Amino acid sequence: MRPEYPTDHETIEGLLAGYALGGLTGDDAELADRLLTEHVPSCVACRGTLMAFRDVTADLALSVDPLPPPETLLPRLHRELEPRHGRRRPMQALAMAAGVVAVVGLAGLTISQGMRASNASAKAEDLQAAAAIAVRPDAELVPVGPVHEVSAPGMSEFYLIGSCPEPPDGSVYRLWLVADGRATFVTDFQPDDGQVVVAVPFDPSRFDDIWISVETADSEPSTPSDQRWQASGPPAPSAA
Amino acid sequence: MRDGDQDDLQLHRRLLAGDRGAFDDLYRRYSAPAYGLAYRITGQQILAQDVVHEAFLALWRAPEAFDAARGAFRTFFLSLVHHRAVDTVRREERMRKRQERASNLEEVVGEDVAEDVVDAVDIAGRRSEIRVALGTLPPEQRQVLELAYFQGMTQVQIAEHIQIPLGTVKTRTLAAMRKLRRELERKDDA
Repeated sequence: MRPEYPTDHETIEGLLAGYALGGLTGDDAELADRLLTEHVPSCVACRGTLMAFRDVTADLALSVDPLPPPETLLPRLHRELEPRHGRRRPMQALAMAAGVVAVVGLAGLTISQGMRASNASAKAEDLQAAAAIAVRPDAELVPVGPVHEVSAPGMSEFYLIGSCPEPPDGSVYRLWLVADGRATFVTDFQPDDGQVVVAVPFDPSRFDDIWISVETADSEPSTPSDQRWQASGPPAPSAA
Repeated sequence: MRDGDQDDLQLHRRLLAGDRGAFDDLYRRYSAPAYGLAYRITGQQILAQDVVHEAFLALWRAPEAFDAARGAFRTFFLSLVHHRAVDTVRREERMRKRQERASNLEEVVGEDVAEDVVDAVDIAGRRSEIRVALGTLPPEQRQVLELAYFQGMTQVQIAEHIQIPLGTVKTRTLAAMRKLRRELERKDDA
């Protein structure tokens, strides 16, 4: 038989107090569960009471003297903090290492052979920085359409490098960083002899996705078009 | 909103985006209060370490579990630690050993150690207020509160432990929670 449902707030408050302390069992626990789903959400007074009691119990936690945990705990946690980004589709370790070398090497070869000296110098510096990241054991290589994001945990910048087709005439590629569903314009870019090297001065872990859209050259970078590549996968620009 | 709550919200927003730096910052702010609480409840360093480890890992894996509309971050996180610690104690069924160790706790956790980490969360003042508020409770109310919260006893276990009717435990619990709520809200308003 189900326990009798309380109707007076004195009884309800008593159950919420016991619930906040984690001390309910049996019928009381069942009643509290029902209250939390059937009554509390629609009762302003009970919601306030529950929140206040939760605050009290949290304050009880603070009454205890803090005690530094063993120094080994944070490194242990770090080892278990797997990337949690929806956009990240990390490649297998061996494939990733080979991919980084191939991408950086190919771009470097193109730059050394085909670009004007001044441009090549700046790009070479970016490539050198990307390569320095790529050789780290925790480096990550995430495809964004035909190019790759090269990054590593703790870095305040990342790089887009790789081979990329030319955009349609009168168009450019536009880079966006996406967080909380909002895309923020970063820069326009075009491939040089089919190669892209873009330095992006932001920590990629702070963003949910990276988009590369195809836009009309010199247009206002307000919202990205639907023609885009995403680090999280399709869609891809139909025009590219 | 109390001091530090806004910082917590900003860190949590960064955590939602997968920012490990924010995770480290939250660890620096809350690992010591969390470990102190877990140790107080479990009475064993190894269990306390596991509790804090699990709590932070859960925070990393599901940061969306915290809803700012339902209260402060520290309320959420320390409640998480508390629940895990209590679950651990109940699972381990080591109540007696824990009580024995708890009786020696004050020797292990000294004031000097605490002061080093309190500033990180700006809770020194709050801790003092809470202890004062606890001191206003009649002994019989404080007893049931501490048995429930710090020793993870259910109300039924408390009734058996101190040999009073279950209804009396409930009455004392509610009275204690109401009084603490009033005292702490009064201090917040001051």
